[in-house]
Amino acid sequence: MSENYIYSPSVSNEFRCRVPLAGSRQFFIVDGQVQGGEKFIVPQETGLDFRLGKGETASDLLQFISVRSKERKENLSYRSRFELEESSSARILLCSHTLSSHHFMTDESVSIHLKANADLNMVVMQNEHDNSSHRTDFDVRLDAGAVLKMHLITLHGGEISNRLNIRLEGPAAECELSGLYLADGEQKVTTDVKLSHNVPGCRSSQLFKGVLDGRSLTRFDGLIYVAPDAQKTEAYQANHNLLISEDAKIYTRPHLEIYADDVKCSHGATVGSLNAEELFYMRTRGIALDEAKLLQQLAFAYQVLEKISNGQLRERLYDLTEKRLRGEFSRCSDCSRHCC
Amino acid sequence: MENMLEIKDLHACINGKEILKGINLTVGAGEVHAIMGPNGSGKSTLATVLAGKENYEVTRGEVFFRGKNLLEMSPEERSWAGLFLGFQYPVEIPGVTNVNFMKAAVNEHRRQNQMPELSAAEYLKLMREKMAVVEMDPAFSSRGVNVGFSGGEKKRNEIFQMAMLDPKLAILDETDSGLDVDALRIVANGVNKLKNPDNAIIVITHYQRLLDYIIPDIVHVLYKGRIIKTAGKELAREVETRGYDWLINQ
Ligand SMILES: Nc1ncnc2c1ncn2[C@@H]1O[C@H](COP(=O)(O)OP(=O)(O)O)[C@@H](O)[C@H]1O
Ligand SMILES: [Mg+2]
Repeated sequence: MSENYIYSPSVSNEFRCRVPLAGSRQFFIVDGQVQGGEKFIVPQETGLDFRLGKGETASDLLQFISVRSKERKENLSYRSRFELEESSSARILLCSHTLSSHHFMTDESVSIHLKANADLNMVVMQNEHDNSSHRTDFDVRLDAGAVLKMHLITLHGGEISNRLNIRLEGPAAECELSGLYLADGEQKVTTDVKLSHNVPGCRSSQLFKGVLDGRSLTRFDGLIYVAPDAQKTEAYQANHNLLISEDAKIYTRPHLEIYADDVKCSHGATVGSLNAEELFYMRTRGIALDEAKLLQQLAFAYQVLEKISNGQLRERLYDLTEKRLRGEFSRCSDCSRHCC
Repeated sequence: MENMLEIKDLHACINGKEILKGINLTVGAGEVHAIMGPNGSGKSTLATVLAGKENYEVTRGEVFFRGKNLLEMSPEERSWAGLFLGFQYPVEIPGVTNVNFMKAAVNEHRRQNQMPELSAAEYLKLMREKMAVVEMDPAFSSRGVNVGFSGGEKKRNEIFQMAMLDPKLAILDETDSGLDVDALRIVANGVNKLKNPDNAIIVITHYQRLLDYIIPDIVHVLYKGRIIKTAGKELAREVETRGYDWLINQ
């Protein structure tokens, strides 16, 4: 393992991730409190402000690891702001974990503003215990020529709700959004996307996929809004769900509200089950039924994960996804910490 | 000597419709059998029932494979016991690469036989070796299973998989369809290389031309769910020139 990573200086050993990604710089937020200050970030009472100056490039992968601990069991709400000035560029990983299985309630708001031609690649990874209830409101604004790639990976959690309000406010802004949610047992995952094309000439694409087992309950609500003069808009949205158990429930509602006429838009949703022909084919080669099912679920999930451009991170998430689908604790391998 | 495969009075239905109406067939080790017959006779149904597809209902009869009751086994158990089906229409599995697919299959076979899993390097070596048997480009290994493969490439992939799993009995369902002359020769040569006195092959085909390369010991004609004629390899040639009508009318 490469040693090429940096800890936020004042983080005690207890909170250090034992298997950090090479080339990453880590920041810890424990119960909403940033542990120590750093370049780019200003800790707030709860949450943080992140700011990247005009033309600046953050060369490291910036990993914000937010954990809830038993030290504070009350409901918490915190807010973070990410501001990228003109033509700046960053890669950010937001992880949220619970360190124990208490009934944590977390209400979080994340606002992101990309000014003209700023470029942000953000991966959000949520991996919490069954009793956690975590709601996150993402409020995102893109100015002219800004590019956002965002991947929302919900591996585990009791009640996870993600609401994304994304506004494209300057011409030629681009947003590529993808998401994977895995739910089983009694878990609930809600995804609410409102993506607004408020000006002409912007592009957006969305791909959300879910693998749903047990008695889980999942909702996906996706709206693409195209304002009256937002001509030459391209906007695509797809939501695909794989139902593993008959008791899992999914409600999916993709919809469009289009007030311009020169646009290319599409949306679609599917709910399917495992493919019997594929399973039979795999079994005739000696792959046992459970393994064949797993391979199919992984293949389904991979179509989201493969969009993550950082190869290391993609492999790590693939590994965590596989463990998760195998019903193991989805910890990073080699780590003894119970991040989830 | 124990028979490889023994099918006795096998009847099978799908969606309440009887397709196999009393099949009797015995295959010994070292033998090559050909099953011919017009479209819709039930050839693929027979192959699929033997491989263990669940939506076919066996209503009568029994099947023994190397002394074991085949019909009580799951598809994967049949594979572990040494049965292989080369599909008429191989299935595409997007998102599962050929290499991961076959690695999972080979290692599961090894676990079932109390053998250690192959290391990545050992697996790669074996894979390269077996791909060469069917002159398959190693680049195929990183692609999704059969995804975007041409008809001929899919059939080669079936024989590659057969080579990897080294089955005792391979049932090859129309492995020749969709192949041009060169590909046919490559695939047939591949099968011949895998043939040995301890294994057996059932070749299902419409055409004599495959049987010019893979020479059968015994040829059966299946029609409307029954084997209506069994003879030596000359029967294939006769069918090629005279068609099936003379047999059907007998
Ligand atoms: N799923 C199905 N439901 C009903 N009939 C089927 C089904 N699959 C195959 N059949 C019928 O079974 C018969 C045999 O088909 P098949 O075994 O594919 O023949 P062959 O391989 O000899 O061409 C055909 O009449 C076909 O229409
Ligand atoms: Mg057929």
